[in-house]
Amino acid sequence: MDGVAVTAFFQTLVQGLLTGGLYALIGTGLSLIFGVMKIINFAHGDFLAIGMFITLALFKAFNLDPYLSLLVAAPLGFGLGYVIQRFVLARLGDRLGEGSLLATLGLGLIISNTLLLGFGAQPQSINVPYAINTFKFGGVQVSVSLLIAGIGTVLAISALNLVLYRTELGRAIRATAQNPLGAELQGVKTANIQAIVFGLGVSFAAIAGVLLMPLLYTFPTVGENYVTKAFIVTVLGGLGNLPGAVVGGLVLGVIESMGAFYISNNYRDAYGLIVFLLVLLLRPEGLFGKTVKRV
Amino acid sequence: MRPIQTLTALALLSFSLASAQSTIKIGAVTSLSGRFATFGAMQQAGFKVAIDELNAKGGVNGQKLELLLEDDASDTNKALNAAEKLVNAKVPVVIGAYSSGVTKPLSQYMARVKVPLLVATAIDETITKPGNPYTFRVNNQSSVYTRSLINELKKIGGMKTAVVLTSNDAFGKSVLTDAGKLLPAAGFTVLSKDTYDKGLTDFRPLLNRYKGQNPDVVIFASYEEDAVALAKQVKETGLAPRVIAGIATGFALPDFLKGAGSTAENFLVTMVWNADVKYPGAGSLYTRLKTALGGEEPSQHAAQSYAAVLAAADAIKRGGTDPEKVRAALESTKLNTAFGPVTFRDYAGYQNQNSVVGLITQVQGGKFVTIGPASAATGKVILPKK
Repeated sequence: MDGVAVTAFFQTLVQGLLTGGLYALIGTGLSLIFGVMKIINFAHGDFLAIGMFITLALFKAFNLDPYLSLLVAAPLGFGLGYVIQRFVLARLGDRLGEGSLLATLGLGLIISNTLLLGFGAQPQSINVPYAINTFKFGGVQVSVSLLIAGIGTVLAISALNLVLYRTELGRAIRATAQNPLGAELQGVKTANIQAIVFGLGVSFAAIAGVLLMPLLYTFPTVGENYVTKAFIVTVLGGLGNLPGAVVGGLVLGVIESMGAFYISNNYRDAYGLIVFLLVLLLRPEGLFGKTVKRV
Repeated sequence: MRPIQTLTALALLSFSLASAQSTIKIGAVTSLSGRFATFGAMQQAGFKVAIDELNAKGGVNGQKLELLLEDDASDTNKALNAAEKLVNAKVPVVIGAYSSGVTKPLSQYMARVKVPLLVATAIDETITKPGNPYTFRVNNQSSVYTRSLINELKKIGGMKTAVVLTSNDAFGKSVLTDAGKLLPAAGFTVLSKDTYDKGLTDFRPLLNRYKGQNPDVVIFASYEEDAVALAKQVKETGLAPRVIAGIATGFALPDFLKGAGSTAENFLVTMVWNADVKYPGAGSLYTRLKTALGGEEPSQHAAQSYAAVLAAADAIKRGGTDPEKVRAALESTKLNTAFGPVTFRDYAGYQNQNSVVGLITQVQGGKFVTIGPASAATGKVILPKK
């Protein structure tokens, strides 16, 4: 490989990793919810859309810097998730059953249609001058907003890990994931814990939405574009396995970018799916082994 | 009730009955919701301005015009349902739809039920080539956009290589085919020809590959959201050809300028109508469209839709409200509008195809400035030094 080819390789690799980071962030929320509650959240993409629209609305109304919207979107997402789990999903009482499946599907429809009513159907984007800045790192051109998204992903996932493994709340979450009845007997208020977990999951989707907004555009059903990726990422890494979701995201991002660069752009989605099928075939439990150890 | 009141009430009643009976209904199908909603809003504004203008002049043959507007939700099946509804309502002509993918099947349906379809915006070649006797197109076909761009590139000179990236749909593929033929004929080497699927938001790997190929010209054809993402990611990846061009559609929208901001600067965009065109009445049309859009900048799609309503009304004026007679009248349309001339001719394999001068505009200071052809230019092209 000559110099140009090497640079192109690294450029594609870096962009694939950064894109994959965003997939990981979206997948983490989904995986967390599944890990603790065994609920597949079909509204995850719509929660991401909420994050994007919060950013858009704040930017339009107050010209607020998109990244500052995190301060609004993250807690709001958490609150929304908490309330939804507490007052909708918890009442259905079933796990992996039609109840939660239909409820999350329905919630997704309500959210996307509310966004449609409030903001209209046309794609909208925001325009902050620095979002399109780039810098060169050893010949590799890196986008500032993509890098910020990458750093945001790392920070959010690290913070989540700290919470899970260094705090009392984390211990309660892990206990609830392993054995809800046992945890309840030990004095853990599992209903509250599950609501917190759902809140965290939604919050992660909203954070991903905020980080995506300076890079892309949004419209009420934008979540569809990402939720499939999130599912692939989650299954790749092993359902409910958080480090798995991170690695799954990065793997998917890099495979897609490399495939689009070296083979053909037309089969972009196929590359991810091929790997996905291979993993399902060879390691049905996902890249990260044991099915029992979750969260 | 006192007699005077009774009389007034009767008068009002008879007036409203009379006006209800005397409107001429024109059907229209466009995308008011779904992914083409921005274009649908543009079309709606064009329709409205034209109907208001015609009614202010007393309507057609002494009757007011009324637009029956149906939303196709950017979906082919819904467009066909909408058209069926309009045909059942006995409209003499239908205008629509927005996108090529929706309009092509719509044109086939309309030919089957023998009601003329006036295509305002969709630019896929195959809509009028070979076409059918019931389909008339106000907008130019996609090859005109591509050809006028390539002619302008030749005139600018000094460029030899090109890459083409289009969306993977009727419109995009039409442009890809045209560019694939016209570029080599004009002496360009095509280094890459790609399409992308709807929903792709990460163009970076492709743009990286183009960067490695170092082309003189990059030609895109995309709907609006992709146009914005492309412009931003071109900047991100550092792809820097001499010319980046967008074939109408998403790039020709004011929303593209807003969304892409400074990354859109110096893009060449082909279109058939811009605020600075020199047709009589264009300035006033621009102002009226802008008002109809609630202060938003109008695009060529609004102007085309305006012209389509004028053509429909003109045909009804000459032919009456029987679809077959309207169809016959459309064939001899000869209008000069603020959008440009409207005549439907058969030539070079096209049927009932209007021909408008293709404009090349360049984004300069956040605005579309017409830089070609020379007869229409209001500014000069700005190119990066190489």
